[in-house]
Amino acid sequence: MAIYTVGRRRVIFALLLTCALLLTLDLRGNPVLDRARDGFSRVMSPVESATDVVATPLGRAWNGITEYDDLEAENQALQDQVDRLIGTQATARLSVEEYQELLALLSLDSLAGIPTEVAKVVGASSNNLDQIIEINKGRSSGFKVGMPVVNQAGLIGKITSVTDNTAKVLLITDARYAVPVRVLGAPAPDSTPTNTNPSGQTNEELEDLVATTVGPSTTLVTDVLNTGSTLPQNDSGSIIVADDGAVVTNPAALGDEALGEASTGLDDPTDLVVAAATTTTTVLALAAKEFGALEGRGRGLIPQIRFLQDNPSIAVLQEGDLVVTAGGFDSLAPPDIPVGVVINRADRSGPGGPLLDVLPYADVTKLNFIRVVKYTPLSEVEQ
Amino acid sequence: MLAAIWQGPFIRLVPVGMVLLALQRSLLVEFTVAGVIIQVVLALAAAAGAAAGSERGAIAGFTLGVMYDMLEGLPIGSTAIAMTLAGAVAGLLALIVADPQWWLAMSFTTLGAAVGEVMLPVVRLFTGVPDPFEPRLTIIVPVVAIAAGILSPVFVPLARWCLRIKRAEWVAPPREPAL
Repeated sequence: MAIYTVGRRRVIFALLLTCALLLTLDLRGNPVLDRARDGFSRVMSPVESATDVVATPLGRAWNGITEYDDLEAENQALQDQVDRLIGTQATARLSVEEYQELLALLSLDSLAGIPTEVAKVVGASSNNLDQIIEINKGRSSGFKVGMPVVNQAGLIGKITSVTDNTAKVLLITDARYAVPVRVLGAPAPDSTPTNTNPSGQTNEELEDLVATTVGPSTTLVTDVLNTGSTLPQNDSGSIIVADDGAVVTNPAALGDEALGEASTGLDDPTDLVVAAATTTTTVLALAAKEFGALEGRGRGLIPQIRFLQDNPSIAVLQEGDLVVTAGGFDSLAPPDIPVGVVINRADRSGPGGPLLDVLPYADVTKLNFIRVVKYTPLSEVEQ
Repeated sequence: MLAAIWQGPFIRLVPVGMVLLALQRSLLVEFTVAGVIIQVVLALAAAAGAAAGSERGAIAGFTLGVMYDMLEGLPIGSTAIAMTLAGAVAGLLALIVADPQWWLAMSFTTLGAAVGEVMLPVVRLFTGVPDPFEPRLTIIVPVVAIAAGILSPVFVPLARWCLRIKRAEWVAPPREPAL
C-alpha cells in the first residue's frame, strides 16, 4: 500500500489553503468568524473554570515551593520601598492637587472625566510569542477595542479584542504595540529629594498623617483616575526643592509667619502641616525633551523609543529621563499616563536618531487587577 | 451523517483538545521551563501525526490549531497552519515504519513539534507582525520540541484513542497444510 499518496498530499495542501483563507478572512475582519470566536469562548468558559479549580491549588503549591526565597527577598525590598514612599507621600499629594487645580483652571486636556473600570486578569497568553493577557470583563462593561489599560504603576497596554464577558489586552512589551510618548527630563541628581521626610516628621507621624487624610492614600495612576477629576498622571514628574535649590528638611525653621499664611483658609490641621511643609518649596514641572514612538519588542525584552531627534542644543536625552504618553489626535492613549523610565541610550549613525530603552513602571509579568480607561482612540474607532 | 460524525475523529478530539487548551492556559502558563511555556496542544497535534500518519495528523493539527486561535484571540488560521504542518511532518514517520517503536514515535513527535513552533513566527511574519523572530526562539524551539517528545508516550496513545486508530496486530499467516 502506498502510504504517502497524492491523495494524502492533497488533503494536507487543502488544509493549508483553508488556513490561509481563514487567516485572510479574519485579518480583513469577518463577522462570522468573530461570532464563532465568541461562541467558542462561551463554550470553553465552563471547561476553563473547572480546570482552574484543579490547576490553581497545584500552581500555588508549586510556586510556594519554588519561589519562597524570592518572595521573602521581594517582601523585604518592598517593605524598604514602602518606608521610603511614606515619607514623600504627603507632600507629593499636595503637589498633585496643585497641578490638578492649575490644569482645571487652564482647561487643559488630561484624563479628566474619562470613566474607568477595574477588571481582573484571568489568563495570560499561552504561547511563547504573544504578550497578551485576558481580563474578566468585556463588551458588557463597555469595553471596546483600542481602549488603554493601566494599573497602579502606569500604562500596561491596550484592548485588542472583546467578547461579551472577556477582553484581550496587548501588553506594551508586545512587538505589535506602539504608542506616541513624551520624554521628560529627569530630576537633576543634586535636586532629588534625598530626605524622605520633607515635612521633618518621622515615618510614624507621616503614616498617621496619610491615614487621617481624606481621599486616596497614594497618588498612583489609578487613584488619580478614581477621582474623576482633571488630574495629570505624571505626578512623578514633579520634584520638590526649596527656592534656593536645597531640599527642605526642616519645616519648623519656616517661622510662625509662614505657618500663619499657610494656615489661612485651612480648616483641617492635617492640611496645615502639609501646607507648612511646602509653603517655601517650588514645584518644578519637568519639561518635555522630545517626542517619539514607544514600541514593544517581545517577551523578556524591554520596550524602546524610536523616531527621536537628537538635538543637544535643545535637550540631551539620557538615562533616568521619564516617559509618559503623549496623547494626540490618533494616539492609542490619552496624554500623561506614566510609562517608564529611560535606562539606556543607544546612539545610531545616520538620521535615525538614538534609541532609548525604557523600563516600564508597570511590571507586566505580575498583573492581578488592571483598570481600563474608557477612552477610544480615533485610530481604533472603525474596529 | 450523524453516525459519521459520531464515529469520526472530532467527537473525541475536540473535547480532549478543549481540556488541553484549558490546561495550557491555566496550569502550564505557571509551570515554565527556562521561561518557556510548554505547548501541550502542539504536542498532541504532533503526536497525532506520529500515531496516525500525515493526513490524519494534519487534520488533527488543523482542528486543534483553529480551536487554539479562536480561544487565544489570534487570527484564525495562524496557529492552525503551524499545527497542521506539525502533524503532517510527524506523520512522515509512517513512511519509515508501519508500527513504530516508542522511541521512533518520540523522535518524530519532537521533530513535528519543532517544525510547528518554528512555523509560528514564520506565519506571523506573513501577517505583518514586525520582527517576530525573537532571540529567545533558539531556546523556545528546543524546549517545546523536547517537552513534546517527553510527553509522546502519553500523547501518542491518547491521539490514537482520539482518532480511533487501533494498533496493528501482526498475525502469522496460516500454515500451509503439509503435503
